[in-house]
Amino acid sequence: MFLTKLAFKNLIRHRNRTVVTAIIIAFAIFIFILMDSMIGGMTEMSYNNIIDYEAGHLQLVNQKYWEAEEELPLENLMVVNQQVMTKTENIQGYQASSPELNFSARLNNGTNELPVIGKGIIPNRLMQVFELQDQFVVGEMFSPGEYKAVMGKRLADLLKLDKGDYITLLVKDKNETFNTIDAEIAGLLHTGNPNINNNIVYLPLDIVQQSLNVDNQVSKVIVRLENKDLALGVANQLENNLKAINDNWSVYSWDELEAVSVAGAKEMGNQMILAIILLIAAIAIINTVILAALERMKEIGMMKAMGLQRKEIIYTFVLESTGIGILGGIVGLILGAFGVWIFTIYGIDFGTIMGSNIEMASFGIPVIGKMYGVWNPESFLLVFSFGVIVSFLSSILPAYWAASKDPVEAIYHS
Amino acid sequence: MALLELYNVKKIYQQGKIEVPALRGIDLTVEKGEFTTVFGPSGSGKTTMLNMIGCLDKPTSGSINFNGQELEDLDKKGLAMLRRHNIGFIFQSYNLIPVLTAYENVEFAIRLVDKHSKKELRDKVMNILANVGLDGLEARRPNELSGGQKQRVAIARALVKEPKLVLADEPSANLDSKTSEEVLELMVKMNEELGTTFIFSTHDPQVMDYAHRMLEIRDGLISEDKRGKSYVSD
Ligand SMILES: Nc1ncnc2c1ncn2[C@@H]1O[C@H](COP(=O)(O)OP(=O)(O)O)[C@@H](O)[C@H]1O
Ligand SMILES: [Mg+2]
Repeated sequence: MFLTKLAFKNLIRHRNRTVVTAIIIAFAIFIFILMDSMIGGMTEMSYNNIIDYEAGHLQLVNQKYWEAEEELPLENLMVVNQQVMTKTENIQGYQASSPELNFSARLNNGTNELPVIGKGIIPNRLMQVFELQDQFVVGEMFSPGEYKAVMGKRLADLLKLDKGDYITLLVKDKNETFNTIDAEIAGLLHTGNPNINNNIVYLPLDIVQQSLNVDNQVSKVIVRLENKDLALGVANQLENNLKAINDNWSVYSWDELEAVSVAGAKEMGNQMILAIILLIAAIAIINTVILAALERMKEIGMMKAMGLQRKEIIYTFVLESTGIGILGGIVGLILGAFGVWIFTIYGIDFGTIMGSNIEMASFGIPVIGKMYGVWNPESFLLVFSFGVIVSFLSSILPAYWAASKDPVEAIYHS
Repeated sequence: MALLELYNVKKIYQQGKIEVPALRGIDLTVEKGEFTTVFGPSGSGKTTMLNMIGCLDKPTSGSINFNGQELEDLDKKGLAMLRRHNIGFIFQSYNLIPVLTAYENVEFAIRLVDKHSKKELRDKVMNILANVGLDGLEARRPNELSGGQKQRVAIARALVKEPKLVLADEPSANLDSKTSEEVLELMVKMNEELGTTFIFSTHDPQVMDYAHRMLEIRDGLISEDKRGKSYVSD
């Protein structure tokens, strides 16, 4: 107990050094918490962008189609009959569903051409599943059976197209025969999802089915639920139900998408930051212990003369350093909590930070506009324990060095 | 049985390739309760000898027996424990722990050996502090004390655990002559009251007057071993 008291007194002995070391640790922890909150917010936002504009919560699809989806094949399509719809509408938390027929096409404005993804959709059902209602920059959604199209403003800009202009989509139908779809632009979108803005052209499902020669088949059905946490549980249940109708049906939840697992790369980033923090804290602590030991050589010698063992001297140093770690940790948590709080309320506008025309999409992150932080209490706990454990561990070696000093040397020659 | 026996103790320091013989064959017996002065000029080997006796360093050859125990038979931990329980140190530069008050510096030493509660030890600490004349200064930090007061704290710290032997290496060298006298008188007093064995070194001929026994050391050898008239054997 006396040694504990001594360690505590040593802790407040050099207030400046203790404070500086603690601040370094606190700052490292603060940065980690902010970064974690930001990455969390980014992940959350990209999840929502994928769900709200591309993937919904569930996808009903032929398993073979799912595996080859990259190529947007016109094989392994499915027919959505009344039976399928009834089963789907009866699942827990069901809100809306939208069938879509996806195909690759070349978009032509008369002079130039771009590869795009075409989507044949049923307008009112699409609008129920995706958050497109308020995203129209000009015009509006078309009605079924109209030879009209909706696309991203950005894509339109690339081909110098505007509402009312006519476009031609060059496609290959089910029999590999070339065909074209002509349509008038009914509206232009700007969403938080760069993929929608840059690559997608929406057309009425019936017109697409006719042009591609696929009868009444679709690529998949997108389902929206009350909330995204229901998805995984419901997916299995619905799949079993649908397989009873047609064994080819599979149901995938949003978090099984590849785009989502890419967002999971956040873990890696976190570990990097954690490693850097570990290093900063370790260096700060080692430096502090060495300075303290050099300055207390005579005391260490005296303590040895008094019969203290090496481990007891190590104990006082290690305890002192752990104390600094705890101090820094607490300050770091407080700062971090404050930072995250600000961050969740006000968010960060990447546009203003990176210059107006750069989108996070350029970095592979489907985020546009303002980003908000998220609370992650686990990371608070994690980084705090890390800070304390690192302070503890990194002090052992220099403390051992100090405590191993020859007492005669320490008393007479320092 | 004598408290301390040195037999042909030699210490050779290695300075690069040069061998520096600091002790060249010390034979010495110290009885319980003796108050011994080791006198010699600077560099004669006083500190080296005290360090050997205090188990802070090991002789190059020869043997030391403390209280019936051969020191060379003890490992590091054994030596630390022997120092902790049986030997008190007083150094020229006091070596108090700056973050601790006078009271705590003394308390530290007794808490290492006595497992009684803090409360029970309080009397002991207060007593010894009063005994060395530090009444009322218990709460002061070393930097709030004069040199003489610091050395009194160091004496109290060395004595509080009631060690068998106190080693004082030039304890008065940093003090003015009046303070130095007071400190030496205090050590004599403690020796008489508690019966603690003292060995203290000095290069100041005046200081020798306080001793019962005077060892003169030159070039690492004891050149004289005189017993003063005040020395009383029991
Ligand atoms: N660590 C050391 N390394 C080399 N020589 C030393 C060392 N310590 C003491 N000496 C030498 O040993 C001799 C005795 O020194 P010391 O015991 O300190 O004498 P005193 O205490 O009487 O002044 C001196 O010549 C000194 O230079
Ligand atoms: Mg000396």
